Amino acid sequence: MTDIKRPREPFAPWDRRSLPGLFDVDETARRVGHYKWVEIKLFEALGGWVATIPELDVKMRLGTHCYHHAWHADLFDKRLPELREMKTERLTVPPNEHMVEFIEAMTEPEAGHMTIEKLVGVYRVLIPHKIAAYTYHRNGTSEITDMPTIRILDFILQDEFNDWREGEMLIQSMIESPEEVERAMVHQTKLEKIMLAAGGIAGPGSIGDPYVEVVEQN
Amino acid sequence: MRKIFPAEELARDSRFIRQTNEQRLNDPRGARVAGGNTSENLAKLTPELPNGPDRARALMHGIFVGEIQALEGAGRTCWDFEIGDEVPLALKMDMARQCWDEARHCEISISLAEHMGTELGEYAENGLLYEASCNPDPVLRLTGVNRALEGLAIDVFNTMKEFGNMAGDPVLEFCEDWMLADEVTHVKMGSDWLRRLTQNDKERLDKALEFQKVVDRLFSFNGFRGEDDDSPIQLTRRFRELAGFTDDEIDEIADMSRDARAEATA
Repeated sequence: MTDIKRPREPFAPWDRRSLPGLFDVDETARRVGHYKWVEIKLFEALGGWVATIPELDVKMRLGTHCYHHAWHADLFDKRLPELREMKTERLTVPPNEHMVEFIEAMTEPEAGHMTIEKLVGVYRVLIPHKIAAYTYHRNGTSEITDMPTIRILDFILQDEFNDWREGEMLIQSMIESPEEVERAMVHQTKLEKIMLAAGGIAGPGSIGDPYVEVVEQN
Repeated sequence: MRKIFPAEELARDSRFIRQTNEQRLNDPRGARVAGGNTSENLAKLTPELPNGPDRARALMHGIFVGEIQALEGAGRTCWDFEIGDEVPLALKMDMARQCWDEARHCEISISLAEHMGTELGEYAENGLLYEASCNPDPVLRLTGVNRALEGLAIDVFNTMKEFGNMAGDPVLEFCEDWMLADEVTHVKMGSDWLRRLTQNDKERLDKALEFQKVVDRLFSFNGFRGEDDDSPIQLTRRFRELAGFTDDEIDEIADMSRDARAEATA
């Protein structure tokens, strides 16, 4: 018969989650607001591009991905009031003017012959930066106090990885000449420079700071 | 990327052949034949008709190009309007969801077209559906597209589902039933947003309903869609009710189709 009075540890031996995290409530809300802003800008662009893309498989795939990012925006929108931000629009903002510039540059291509540029902006620049920022947040936040954000980010990252893979494969299937390789690289470089100035999708510190501060000794 | 992308610039590969409404109406074989219907006489779409399978193939191709334009239209609604000033975020999210649905419908209808023995480009494409989704007023756009055109899609999918049932084609019947479920959702979105966005604006509501009538009239195809036994596309009351249409509104569409048919045969 089971001894129901026998004490057990509050955390199972395999549960190694820890209490401390890198972000307090306000910082988490700030970041989530920026993520939501980026997801909105991305789903709007993907939806708008559908009519401008002649390649049938790309056209349909962008229609599908458009919804993924709208759903991400909705998840972040629902998280904000739980982080004490009742007026969610207040934090649904870009981290800085460079991020606005990035979105403008990414959404600039419209002509039917610019599918490579459209795909490169999303799948070689923006989505990899999103994956990086979301992974940093997911791994750095408190695994107990901020578990709701981790759960949201896990769902979203699953989409991001799948969409990134599909997008990258579309790009590889579209590039058929050295000139097209060059076109893709030129556009990627242009956008990466703007993203560098922005400091990532949530601004400087989007993926933390990996350097050690060394104090010079006299 | 511009706001409001013109219908004549819709991006297509070389297999697609665009046909204007004028070209279709002025076709010496008659508009109905030019639209892919190989008979001058109206008749309910059944496999027993001598031209039944051909008409079904033409209709499936029409569904496919309609789905592409519906995808493009919903996508443009995500892009063309500013959140807050012009539309709420939730409306755009509904349109993004519709993009995913329409993308699946493209995949389904292109597979079904192949299943039925036709291929992309065998019939011409008319850009009328996308043109309706270029309206600069989001309320009018949603009413024209989600209530009028997606409403027509309810009728078309139900007709195709019945055709699949009569023809003993479970694949066709199965797929049409799934698409029908999505269309009811899209029409309901249109009905809900029309009510919410015009709650305190009777003038805008009237304008939107008038625009819906114009689109419905354009797509009545000389009585092609109606409630008569020989209407090729049957008006579907039950699903329209589920999608937020009142009995009076459905009666009005039925009357419109009857009038269009009388005009065409006069």
